[in-house]
Amino acid sequence: MQKNKKDEWSFAWLGALCLVLRTPTDTVRAAPICDNGQASCQVLSLADLFDRVIQHSSRMHGMSNDLHSQFEQYFLPSRNHISNRVNRNCHTSGILTPNGKENAQRLAVKELTEVILKLLWAWRDPLWHFHQSMAHHDDFNSFSSNKALVMGDLVHELRTGVEKVAEKMQNLGIISNLVNGLRSPEQLLPSPVRPQWSLMNDYDLLFCLRRDSNKVQSYLKILKCRIVPENDC
Amino acid sequence: MWSSPLCTLLLAASLGWLSAFLMDDDHMTSSAPSSPHFTACVSRDQATFRCWWSEGSFHNLSQPGALRVFYRYKKNSPWKECPEYIHSNKECFFDSNHTTIWTSCCVQLRSHDNVTYFNTEHCFSVENIVRPDPPVAVNWTLLGVSPYGLHYDVIVTWDPPASADVSMGWMSLAYEVQYRRWNSSEWTVVEVQGGTQQTLYGLNVEEEYEVHIRSRMKAFTKFGGYSDSIFIQLANYPGRESIFPVALVLGILAVVILLMLLLFSQQQRLTLLLLPPVPTPKIKGIDSEMLKKGKFEELNFILSGGGMGSSCTPLFYQDEPLVDCIELDPLDPADTGDKGGQSSEAQRLIGGRQASGRPTVGGLSHTLSFCDEDDDSVVGDPPNQDALWTLLTTPSPSPTSALLLPGQPELKQGFPGGRDPDPSLAHDGAPRPQAWLNTDFYAQVSDVMPSGGVVLSPGQQLRAQESTAAREGQKEKEEEEAKKKKLGAQIEGEGKDPVGDEEPEQQFQLVVMAADPVGDGYTTDAMNWQTGVVNGYHTLPAESVGDVIAPSVAVKSAEDYQPSYILPDASPTPARYLPPVSDYTIVQEVDYQHSLILNPPPPQAPAHQCLPLHPLKPLTPMPVGYITPDLLGSITP
Repeated sequence: MQKNKKDEWSFAWLGALCLVLRTPTDTVRAAPICDNGQASCQVLSLADLFDRVIQHSSRMHGMSNDLHSQFEQYFLPSRNHISNRVNRNCHTSGILTPNGKENAQRLAVKELTEVILKLLWAWRDPLWHFHQSMAHHDDFNSFSSNKALVMGDLVHELRTGVEKVAEKMQNLGIISNLVNGLRSPEQLLPSPVRPQWSLMNDYDLLFCLRRDSNKVQSYLKILKCRIVPENDC
Repeated sequence: MWSSPLCTLLLAASLGWLSAFLMDDDHMTSSAPSSPHFTACVSRDQATFRCWWSEGSFHNLSQPGALRVFYRYKKNSPWKECPEYIHSNKECFFDSNHTTIWTSCCVQLRSHDNVTYFNTEHCFSVENIVRPDPPVAVNWTLLGVSPYGLHYDVIVTWDPPASADVSMGWMSLAYEVQYRRWNSSEWTVVEVQGGTQQTLYGLNVEEEYEVHIRSRMKAFTKFGGYSDSIFIQLANYPGRESIFPVALVLGILAVVILLMLLLFSQQQRLTLLLLPPVPTPKIKGIDSEMLKKGKFEELNFILSGGGMGSSCTPLFYQDEPLVDCIELDPLDPADTGDKGGQSSEAQRLIGGRQASGRPTVGGLSHTLSFCDEDDDSVVGDPPNQDALWTLLTTPSPSPTSALLLPGQPELKQGFPGGRDPDPSLAHDGAPRPQAWLNTDFYAQVSDVMPSGGVVLSPGQQLRAQESTAAREGQKEKEEEEAKKKKLGAQIEGEGKDPVGDEEPEQQFQLVVMAADPVGDGYTTDAMNWQTGVVNGYHTLPAESVGDVIAPSVAVKSAEDYQPSYILPDASPTPARYLPPVSDYTIVQEVDYQHSLILNPPPPQAPAHQCLPLHPLKPLTPMPVGYITPDLLGSITP
């Protein structure tokens, strides 16, 4: 009898421990995310999701800015280098993005979401290759190469987060089903215009990355303001 | 033809400026001779931007409209002219319709007739030239002041600029707070990543501070302009003067601590001063030290009144507050060893107190002598004989000491003292217990002779010798048994045997229970029992006075004597035993359990036989040098 009680207590303790340890360490409100997207699973609200992805995008933008400035300092110390080339052609230039606040506000929610996802998908491969090329640079400090790796992870996580937001919006009926072809990078850019990202040098890549991360951050904020009503928007 | 060198010159010049323009900055370094150029292009809200130009050294182009601004975003698009000119400022304003973010924009200055191009391009991306407006509504509140009123902390709060759309999140701002003392030229910089407040610590009271703030976009490096300065000053803070009371308090505290240290270091002396010890009956010339050392000869000498001519004075004469000292002859201890000596003493007593023999009061008198005066006073005015002897015989119920007579059931008459005044405390090292015990300190006056002499009852020994010793022995045997049972395991067996042997002589079973120094019970020693038996007292050496005594004492039944006296530190050698408890002894102290700590009586008790023994009458119980607990209450300390 007593042994059974002891077992029960140990199980209870284990259960309690499991509950305690399961709390996620994310900086945003710690709440479990429903993976399977059931309609009944409403643990995390849309506003919370948006807050998370916006925080994430801020981090991404900050890190891309650091990478860019470090690269500039390290590899291009002379200010005479052409840093503001007109024809900086990013590989994501083919994606039609609203280039202004009002333009972005006028854009439909669905299109805006699609734009964001397209951008994020477009950066998956280049970042991975960038990290590889950074690792081979002996003179580039390891901190930056680690940042490049972290950058890739950040983009990946942000993409996953935005996809979840899109799913939730679909479930809530805010938007209709998204285009399924977002995931294939080949469909992003029309072939004649698309510059191969492999041809871009690292510096341009970082420049483009910084710009695109700023875009993503701004679009997400606009999107949140439109979908989650707040008094300040 | 002629224009081609000019063109080449112009091209060369423009290429020279091009390198300057290619810096990622909106400010261009100009070198003489300077051609018209853009001085700055700034956006405030990431939705619009402005560009300012200057004609440089071409002063003929300074009038409005002489220079025109063209822009384009994409490389292949045509150049467009500035949508809005502000000629007074030489400024071109691009509103939101003409602003494209995340796109490289190039601006160009041209002459009025669109012929000359002064610079190829000045390109930038609008998000990179954003310099937010300074924050507004800068204010400060006091957070706290340091305890001494020398420093204080403030919280500076502000609002984001109205032009920046922070609420929607279009712009995320970071701030930089700078402050300085009014007469200093160096600013202290504090970065604020998020939030619109900042705490400034450690500002000096009575000094004025200037604070201003500027803002920038997060993850970007360009700051906007400074806000209007605010001035922080905390003047005449009342806490400033509180430094003096604080110092005063600290000083008082230090003094108090010093006093306490002094107190603790001088504790004993102060205790003596404030709580003087209760004066105990003392014999002049005798102190516990001497008793401890065991100088019994000296003790006897002193007690017999030899050294200083001190005399024994009966204490219990209550009518007369202070009995005059009676000088007593120091009697040879040997004399008291036999009855003859006693009778001669009685004779002496009877014969008066003149020179031949002075009455020697019993041992108890030692406790009673208040001979702080000269000896003369003793003889000068002695109390009358009756008074004297009544003193001796009166069993006053409230003497300073009570008699503990163990083993006598009839002793319990409310007067703790037994009939026999003999019980006295064990003392150590009586070499001749027998002789000593033959004398009584007190004796009962059994008869008064017509001549004025007094017939005294015999002492304990005499009575024992002539009375039914067996009967007493029986009684005491029983009590002995009872006592043994109580003592139980605490007393070794050997201690009991000798007791039984000497029963007949035992009149009292006063057991002095003394604690071991170790405190584990009674010290039992066969010797103790044997030597202590004389005169019916079992004495145990009191080797130490301790708390153990109390429980040990409690063993005795209430019915029996209530021995609650404890000997002070006696001689440490248990071998020398203890003689017989002297009849009387000095109450040295009363301990916390209302037991009496008595001085061991001097060994040569026989020396001071102030009391002749009358064999006829039993001595009335006299209060002796110890008090039972229940008596203690009735006794004034």
